[in-house]
Formats: sequence, C-alpha cells, structure tokens
Amino acid sequence: MSDINRTIEELLVDYAEALRDGCIPAFLKSLTSEEGRRIAYSRGFWEATDVVRVLNSAGFADKAVTPNVSLFISRVDAKIASRLKKARALSRRKRTARARHLT
Amino acid sequence: MNRRLRNALKGLMDPDIERRRRVMDSFVRATFESFIRYLYRYLGNEVECEDVLEDVYADIWENPARLCNVTSDRELLRTVYLYYMRKRLREVYRRINRNLHLSQEGLKRLVAPELGVFEMTSQSELRQLLNRMLSRLKARERRAIELWMEGMSNRAIANELKTTVGAVKMLKFRTMLKLRKMLCDHCRED
Repeated sequence: MSDINRTIEELLVDYAEALRDGCIPAFLKSLTSEEGRRIAYSRGFWEATDVVRVLNSAGFADKAVTPNVSLFISRVDAKIASRLKKARALSRRKRTARARHLT
Repeated sequence: MNRRLRNALKGLMDPDIERRRRVMDSFVRATFESFIRYLYRYLGNEVECEDVLEDVYADIWENPARLCNVTSDRELLRTVYLYYMRKRLREVYRRINRNLHLSQEGLKRLVAPELGVFEMTSQSELRQLLNRMLSRLKARERRAIELWMEGMSNRAIANELKTTVGAVKMLKFRTMLKLRKMLCDHCRED
C-alpha cells in the first residue's frame, strides 16, 4: 500500500487485501487526497466493493467465530454492568441536585 | 426462528432492566455466530468484530424497542445491522477519520454501507452462489480469485499466473465487476 496515486484498480485490490487481512484502518490512512477523490467519483470502485465484501464473507468469516462464547457473554455482561452503574450515578446526581435546589 | 431465540427476544422486551440483563445470556448464545460472521464482512478482523459486537449487545439491552416486531432470523439480522451495528461501525472509523483523505460520506459508504442486494443473503447461500458464479468465469479469472481467497499476495498470484502484479490487479478488478454483474443478474432473476 505504499504506492502514491494508485489507479482505481490498484485501490480496489488494496482495499480487498486490507479487508481480507483485517487492516482497513491502514488502508484508509494510506489514501492520498487525490486517491480519496478518485474513489469518491468511481462507480466501478463502489460496485466492486460489494463483491469484495461477499468474497470476504464467504471465504473468511468462519474464522471469526470465537470458540468460547461464555467468555464473550461475560464481557457483554460487564459492559452492561458498567452502563447500569453510569446510569445510576447520573440519576443519583440529578436527585441530589434537585434536593439541594429545593432546600 | 427457533424457540430459544423467540423466547429471548420476548424477554428482551421486559421493562425491568435487570431481568433484561439475565435474558441477554440466551440472546447472545442464540445470535453470536450469525452476528459475528455478518460483521466480519465489513471488518475482516475478529478482535474488532468482538469489540463492536460487545457494544451492539449492550445497545440492544439498553434499547431493544427496534426488535419488538422481528419474526424471522433474516429480519433480525437486517434490523440489528440497520439500527445497532451500523452506528457502531461508523463510530469505529470516525475516530480515525481526522487525518483521512476520504470524505465522511465515502467513509460511511465503505465501512457501513446501505443494505445492498447481497447484504441480506445468508452465509451458506452466498457460498453456494459464489461457487456457481466462479465456475462460470474464465479459468484465469477464477484462478486469480481462488488464489486470493487462499490468502496469497498479488505478487504470489502473479508468479503463479506467470504475469505481472499490475496485470493481476487489473484482472482482479475486472473479475470482481464481472462477478457483481453475474450476482446481480442472478438476484434479479430470483
């Protein structure tokens, strides 16, 4: 991804590779302003990205499944607990502010 | 939709947040595989998929209203993508967008696009369809795509096909457009 001013074909292939290898941010950061403009106006690029995603999904998505779902569930539960805690702290602050306002 | 998932969805509509929290366990178990596979389409990175999905589930727990009328697996995936996943996907990339040369609109379109023709096709359907379409390609085009799907670099593919890297890139681009046309035609026929 080091070439400058890549053609639209090169940009698509680089995007496909980045998606396959899981490094989309690196691809996005590698874009020059000229390339960004080129992408924005290329219908072919946008059409081909649909297929890139399909290929990515059909070819590689199976490896994304974590064997340990229980571990993931505990992560989700911790996230929910943290949101609950924040919501409770917020309502407590509001209550205190209201009580202070009344007195 | 299986009974376990239907019950989990019903439980998610409970106004009590603690009860909803307990239901999340069975909801995550019932949906994790399909959700993470779907997210992988856009991220290509299992660690990021899990991070995004963690927020998606927490969002669902916080505000499950969008899922109240869901009756099928496909509808569930569609609703979750439209109302929960897309927001999170955009957030992931908004963070790095400060120094990017791609417009905000372009970025949205690239990382969290609108639902297209193929977005709601299931994994197995896609695989079958793709195999059928690949068999209709020219031998060289098919080989280039197959080698790429095996994880080979452009240079390795060029060596295998005895051509240049530039020619491989061109070939892949043309083949992807050809595949898209074939897939679109197939979907239209259906």
